[in-house]
Amino acid sequence: MVQPTPAPPTGPGSPQDVPPAPGSFPVDPNALPESIRNELQAPDPVAIDTSATELRDGLNHCPKCGSTDIKHRSGSDKLICLFCRHEWLGARVEEEFGLGEGLDDLRGTVIASGAKNIRADAASVRTFKCTGCGAEVVVNTQNAMTARCHWCRHVLGVNEQIDNGAVPDAVLPFHIKKDDAVARIRQFVGKRQMFALKAFKEEFSSENVLGVYLPYMVVDAKASADVAGFGEVETRRYTRGEGKDQKTYYDADVYQLQRHVDFTVDDLTMESSALRGNLDTQSNTNNVINTILPFDTKNAVKWNASYLVGYTSEKRDRDVAHLNPQLEDQLLSIARAQVQSSVRQYGRGVRWEQERIDVHGTRWVAMYLPVWLYSYQEPGSGRGGKGGMLHYIAVNGRTGETMGSVPVQQWKLIAAALTVGTLVEGLALWLVGR
Amino acid sequence: MDSDSVLFLLALGPASAAGLYWMLYRYYRNTDKSHSFERETEIKAQPVTGAGEDAKVNEVRGTQETQIRGNNVGDYRRRVQRT
Repeated sequence: MVQPTPAPPTGPGSPQDVPPAPGSFPVDPNALPESIRNELQAPDPVAIDTSATELRDGLNHCPKCGSTDIKHRSGSDKLICLFCRHEWLGARVEEEFGLGEGLDDLRGTVIASGAKNIRADAASVRTFKCTGCGAEVVVNTQNAMTARCHWCRHVLGVNEQIDNGAVPDAVLPFHIKKDDAVARIRQFVGKRQMFALKAFKEEFSSENVLGVYLPYMVVDAKASADVAGFGEVETRRYTRGEGKDQKTYYDADVYQLQRHVDFTVDDLTMESSALRGNLDTQSNTNNVINTILPFDTKNAVKWNASYLVGYTSEKRDRDVAHLNPQLEDQLLSIARAQVQSSVRQYGRGVRWEQERIDVHGTRWVAMYLPVWLYSYQEPGSGRGGKGGMLHYIAVNGRTGETMGSVPVQQWKLIAAALTVGTLVEGLALWLVGR
Repeated sequence: MDSDSVLFLLALGPASAAGLYWMLYRYYRNTDKSHSFERETEIKAQPVTGAGEDAKVNEVRGTQETQIRGNNVGDYRRRVQRT
């Protein structure tokens, strides 16, 4: 069933805040006790930057030998590895649909066939006739796209597009192996041991790391944005008063500002599952899965259910119309980030008061993107009696970027904070008493 | 020592306790993280226009505020009035 778009989350800690730059930390770790500092400064799992040239050039490797010496075999839809002669299907949608080009000429809303509206009455459980033996095999497209015939062991895949949103236009195959993903999750959790919930540490098991294809919409857009507001330039700074009454005063000139920017965005990625798209950090940890974006979506290949054998998948349940407000919101954020460099001379900052976005054209492609997930249900009473929060640790199945939410042992964390607070207070009292 | 600095010193203890709690909580739970699409998406922008029309409209004298009220220049995701 199609669910309504949830209201955007607000407040501190919500993804409406611009996230901190990678590697930045609010406090200098050297000011902290050694044991805490060691945790903070332990190395993070290494992630490939998707802007890295090794992926930007669009190389897909031969699944058999890893060679990239790959050519289209003329007269068929197959690719052939010129090193080991291995042949397989896998046309990159980028070239197939011409997704990388024509961004400047985008007009209106172009929706790829896999991103079309979901029919409300479309069932997610589909029955297929096994081509091997004629038996009927059921595939629940809610979480799987292939099934094995229990009579003849033929593997059936949902390859034709059906109108329930389960079949996307493209799929980005897993690149990071399970062992690698488990190692990254261990490394991530290893950096967060001291105050982690005891049960979480004890129950960690690598068998619970699962590969899942999550549904996303990958959007190209051409837009213009206008922003208007006021900026201030400091003209004078002076102090008045004596001793403890001394105060600093500022004089400033106020300017009225307007900025206009035209831009194109290539492969903006958005969750197309209502459940995953709800990034309210008060009630879930979906922001963790959002953080491991982006993927090297340029390397996505045309849909083929064989890529999903051995993995689970989640069905798309949001249409273009549901995601449009979110797209406009993100385009506005991008525009505001773009104009920032043009107002640097306003040293006292800028207050933007009005903004406007004109979306000239968009192109929507539905994709399944690979994620390794470890989940942990925190015990206890949550909202609505549904138990504690569900914590995820997610690994990008292409770049290896790892992010997670580790449940904390509150009493330990509070005790540590109080200990440090008491020490500082003791020092302060000693200074006051001197 | 005057009363202001005494108060400041006494506030250091609770402030450092709260600060450390907040910082470690975020480090474990990562509630402040999300996809930085502003930086991590491929964006091709034409040069920003309008800078030539900036006009001085007012002067502020003797304020104690260190920045413009409601400064949102780096707060890209906070929406303002749509026109």
